[in-house]
Amino acid sequence: MKIVKKVLSKLFIFLFLSAALLVTLGPFLWVFFASFQTNREILSFTLGFPSGLNIKNYAKALQIAPIAQYYHNSIIVTFFGIIFNLLIMSMAAYVLSRFQFKMQGLIRTMFSMGLLIPGAALLLPLYTSVSTVRLYDSVWGLIVVYVGFGIPTTLFILSSYYRTIPREMEESAYLDGAGFVRTYLYVILPLAKPAFATAGVMQFLLCWNEFQFALTLTTGHQSRTLPIALYYFQSAFASDYGAMFAAVVLVSLPSIIVYVILQKQVVSGLVAGAVKG
Amino acid sequence: MKIKKRWVILFLLPGVLWFAFVYLFSIIQVGVTSLCEWRIAGEITFKGFDNYVQIFRSADFRRALLNNVIWIVLQSTVHVLFGVIFALIVSRGKRYSGFFRTVYMLPNIISSAALGMLFYNIFNPMYGPVNKLIQALGFKDFRANWYADTRLSFFAVTLTWLPFAAIVAILVIAELAAIPDSILEAAIVDGAGELALIWHIKLPLVRSAIGTGTILAATSMLQKLDILAMTSNGGPGNRTMNLPLLIYKTAFNTNNFGMANAQGVVLILVGLLSIGIINKVYRMNEPV
Repeated sequence: MKIVKKVLSKLFIFLFLSAALLVTLGPFLWVFFASFQTNREILSFTLGFPSGLNIKNYAKALQIAPIAQYYHNSIIVTFFGIIFNLLIMSMAAYVLSRFQFKMQGLIRTMFSMGLLIPGAALLLPLYTSVSTVRLYDSVWGLIVVYVGFGIPTTLFILSSYYRTIPREMEESAYLDGAGFVRTYLYVILPLAKPAFATAGVMQFLLCWNEFQFALTLTTGHQSRTLPIALYYFQSAFASDYGAMFAAVVLVSLPSIIVYVILQKQVVSGLVAGAVKG
Repeated sequence: MKIKKRWVILFLLPGVLWFAFVYLFSIIQVGVTSLCEWRIAGEITFKGFDNYVQIFRSADFRRALLNNVIWIVLQSTVHVLFGVIFALIVSRGKRYSGFFRTVYMLPNIISSAALGMLFYNIFNPMYGPVNKLIQALGFKDFRANWYADTRLSFFAVTLTWLPFAAIVAILVIAELAAIPDSILEAAIVDGAGELALIWHIKLPLVRSAIGTGTILAATSMLQKLDILAMTSNGGPGNRTMNLPLLIYKTAFNTNNFGMANAQGVVLILVGLLSIGIINKVYRMNEPV
């Protein structure tokens, strides 16, 4: 009886993990290999390794859509989206987690409420607000929106880390005659580096992957980001499957690389961002 | 610690202003103009709850709302179950655990637009591997056009998110790791088997992590504009329409801004209601 149970549980685990592997890794491997295949090979479904390292599809993908330009836009949006978000929230999280003052609870609750609002409800109002300040169809419009969307998660990650820094660190700095700003810059910030890495990775994923606002707030090549390239060129790629797969790989690869390298930060960021929400 | 007030204000101001611009103004605008007649380049005039009456009369809206509710329920149950089972298996710390944790996360880490494009191709009627596999299994004439077929599109869209429960799994794994070994050992000494251990010890102790995961899973169903835009585009007809895509179409194709914002208010309320219900079910405000 015990052995039967054991075999059954092993079988269940094996089947479950195999299914998980098939549905998660399967599609990725297929697209990756197919991105090196010719149209003919793709149509006849020669699963597995392509006949050679055929990088023509990648050259063609770059030709069909201005992917290089979109890469450039995505990098700018992501870079400033991370910098400004960390800058404003590291200051806000510091005073919110370190000092007592009126309205503290109110401001903290307000920031957390961001997590309760589905982004799609804000599509139209942000379209009108961003147009009003003349940032429609500009990478800066996207940056403003993404910095705002990152506020709750970054706040949770940074303030829970600030709370682990012993108060004696600041007190001794004050005794040495350092002022408020100096203490923050030279004592607190260097200690909080790991939290900045975590919050930065989460903000990277947000800015690099975001679709619906990139679709709504931009209209030209000079401001569109990578996820939008896939949308606009779905029909342009329609007859050239290999190039379409190459484009998918080009868009996804940065996120996958960042995740594989910084897996620990992504996991702790997800846990910290979720538990408080 | 005694500090000057102006530093507190100065440090908070950029964040508060930024939040106000992105969230507060937007929410006020959504709420107020949902009660107004407002089309592109038109005057904004108050007209009470007319927009709400109209959206609930529209078949597209009712379908989108119904779909959203179905997807929320499926995601809060089936999807969460996948995540919990995965977490229980992987947290046993076998050699393969790390590999599976990394791989399972991949669909959640790339842009949803890319994931949508991936599935659009997987289910392609001509060259997609799904049809090819079914044909290879003996159904030689099988030629389903998944995202264009009324009977299949809902299923094919659901498959783009239902199996990928890595975020639920991560939360549960973190909580499982925090269970003290002494509790588990005591239960084993008392003769608890593997299943009893899971059912009576582990699951009750990770209840709030499952609750949090369920909230994330449910609310993620309120933002799937990207995957729909890349696969079925809400079709055929309105078969796979959801609220986000409908809001986008109402605002930027029909240009009826007042009505789009009324739909936005409903979307926010559906989110808050789901969170409230899940909170109750998992008794998230009580200690374990």
